[in-house]
Amino acid sequence: MNHDASTRPDAAAGQTPIVDAPSLDAPSLEAPILEAVNVTKSFTQDGTPTQALKGVSLAVAPGEFVSIVGRSGSGKSTFLSVLSTLLKPDSGELTYNGLDLARASEADIDGLRHGDFAVIFQFHYLLPYLTALENTLLPFMRGLRPVSGAQRRRGLECLERVGLADKGHRLPGQLSGGEQQRVAIARALVKDARILFADEPTGSLDSATGATVMELLGQIHKDGMSVVMVTHNEQYAGLSDRVVRMADGLMV
Amino acid sequence: MNILTIALRNARKKWVRTLLLLLVFTLGVVSIVSLNFVSRVVGEGLEKKLVSFGANILVSPKTEKLTVSYGGFALGDMLFDVTYLDEADTLERIDRIELRKNISVIAPKLVVMDRVQGMAVAIVGVRFAQEKQLKGYWDVAQGAIPGEEPAARKMTDGMHDAPAAAPVPAQNTAQNPTSIPAPIPAAASPTGLAQAPMAPLGQPLDTYRGNGVLVGSSAAAKLNLKLGDTLPLGKAHMVVTGILAPTGSEDDNVLLADLTFVQQAVGHPGKANFVEVAALCSGCPIDDIVTQIGAALVNVEIRTLRNIVEQRMYSVQFVKKLILSVSLVILLTGCSMVGISMLSAVNERKKEIGILRSLGFSRKSVFAIFCAEAASIGLLAGLIGYVAGYGVSFRILAVLDMAEGATLSFEPLHLAATALVLALLTSLASLVPAWKAAAIEPSEALVTL
Repeated sequence: MNHDASTRPDAAAGQTPIVDAPSLDAPSLEAPILEAVNVTKSFTQDGTPTQALKGVSLAVAPGEFVSIVGRSGSGKSTFLSVLSTLLKPDSGELTYNGLDLARASEADIDGLRHGDFAVIFQFHYLLPYLTALENTLLPFMRGLRPVSGAQRRRGLECLERVGLADKGHRLPGQLSGGEQQRVAIARALVKDARILFADEPTGSLDSATGATVMELLGQIHKDGMSVVMVTHNEQYAGLSDRVVRMADGLMV
Repeated sequence: MNILTIALRNARKKWVRTLLLLLVFTLGVVSIVSLNFVSRVVGEGLEKKLVSFGANILVSPKTEKLTVSYGGFALGDMLFDVTYLDEADTLERIDRIELRKNISVIAPKLVVMDRVQGMAVAIVGVRFAQEKQLKGYWDVAQGAIPGEEPAARKMTDGMHDAPAAAPVPAQNTAQNPTSIPAPIPAAASPTGLAQAPMAPLGQPLDTYRGNGVLVGSSAAAKLNLKLGDTLPLGKAHMVVTGILAPTGSEDDNVLLADLTFVQQAVGHPGKANFVEVAALCSGCPIDDIVTQIGAALVNVEIRTLRNIVEQRMYSVQFVKKLILSVSLVILLTGCSMVGISMLSAVNERKKEIGILRSLGFSRKSVFAIFCAEAASIGLLAGLIGYVAGYGVSFRILAVLDMAEGATLSFEPLHLAATALVLALLTSLASLVPAWKAAAIEPSEALVTL
């Protein structure tokens, strides 16, 4: 299912390969690694209940790059949070490799977040008092066991991959916005996750920097990692294998 | 790099807040440590002074006593089966009790009644070395304690020479009837008791075995006794070597002679009427000492002079309680500051907590980060505070004019214990904030709805 976006005819023509998706996205030929079926989620804001997700379904195949697009308030970020286990759905099914995430224990969820899942956000969310390298190695700093030499080397490799090999010693405040986002990507890469969830990864960046970040995501996908990205940007969405649209808490 | 790096780096990043907390806690520790050091020195000083007021445990043989009165007229107590303590055995048994280290003085005594110039007077056989320790308030007005050389000042005060334990002069005096035999030399004692008396741990052995007598101030006045006078006692006679200045105690009315001499003179070698035990130190387990002495000795009555003990302890305990109260207030203030500061830090660091949780950090890990941050402040405050408190103690003692002779020992174990206790306290103070941090869901911090 992996495709190099640059080799696809629609991408070459500069068009956005938008799939006119039904509420249930087009079924993949491969068994999905992650699957959400009829997921709902509601919130109460200022005393008013709001139904953010009204029964959304999505299946992500191994190595697939899926973009979720939609207007603000359409529920796409909420859906990504549910998919990445940051938010629990009210109802519906959510499975990862056969594991029912809606009913999984907290330890299982922590294990997934630490191992198979990686998340990058619109804002980099780096720890301001750790250097770029330390932020990259953060997933390995969960316990009292010190970061090993191999892990440190892995961190340096990831920084090199995002083009920041020489800036590992810098604090986030000493890096540009684009560099900070690249450190966040390096942090996502360092643990060899299987799925990368990206919530508007270019939202706070200028177009040139955004393009660099998208190029990185394309490379990550090319290496075999599944990517689920939420974006406003139709052009960036076009780099993915599949685009699904959301509006008013539903797939459209 | 590990989870502690996160805690320590954040503490370093927020250095102003960390420094303020460290300062408050360090000040708290300095005051607690220095107050403790000072109170210990003051307590020990007080204790030394209090010890000089005498014993607090009285060991005597069991007696059958009957108080007799008839027609409203009290006839006094009738004693049956008057028994004596075996001095050597009693002292040896007391010396072997588990809490022996808490006993400062063991002073056996034999009291006998005799007539001097027709007046009944009590003659008390004592071990002068122990007695001097027990009666810190003794002041010899004339002459010297038997076995000791008179002080130079007193010798020049016109007091005629009265060599301690000097052989009785051959000439007769009014107090020296010809029937009185010569004193029994200690070395020649047929019982061999010259070597028997035991010296309590760390105290000099009382080797005096002569016939010198120390006369209480009132007794000296009533009996018109002077230095060098001789007095009869059983088969021997005694020589007045010293006269006590008024003490306000029973010692003013008695004659005090060497115990071995009195035992030999009255025909009760190795016997004692009672033994006084001084067990005075702050926090001394008096009741336990009494229990252990009771278990070591059979057929004895042990009385605790509670009033004296309690009064003595009260002063020391009062100071300690006061210091404990102040220390608790300081610690509570410090803990509250840590708690409030950590609580605000949790609110500030919500996103950071969300990131950590999204990276797979468990609630326990997040909890540990906040506790570790607080503990690091406590640990450092404990270390700095103890060392500073140690130094400040000397300054306070100097101001109180108590530095001279004060012994403050720097205990590395206490330093470690202080640091650990402080780390524990600050961790406890941050329990609620840490729990709050651990309860934060990543969605609360990161998810844009």
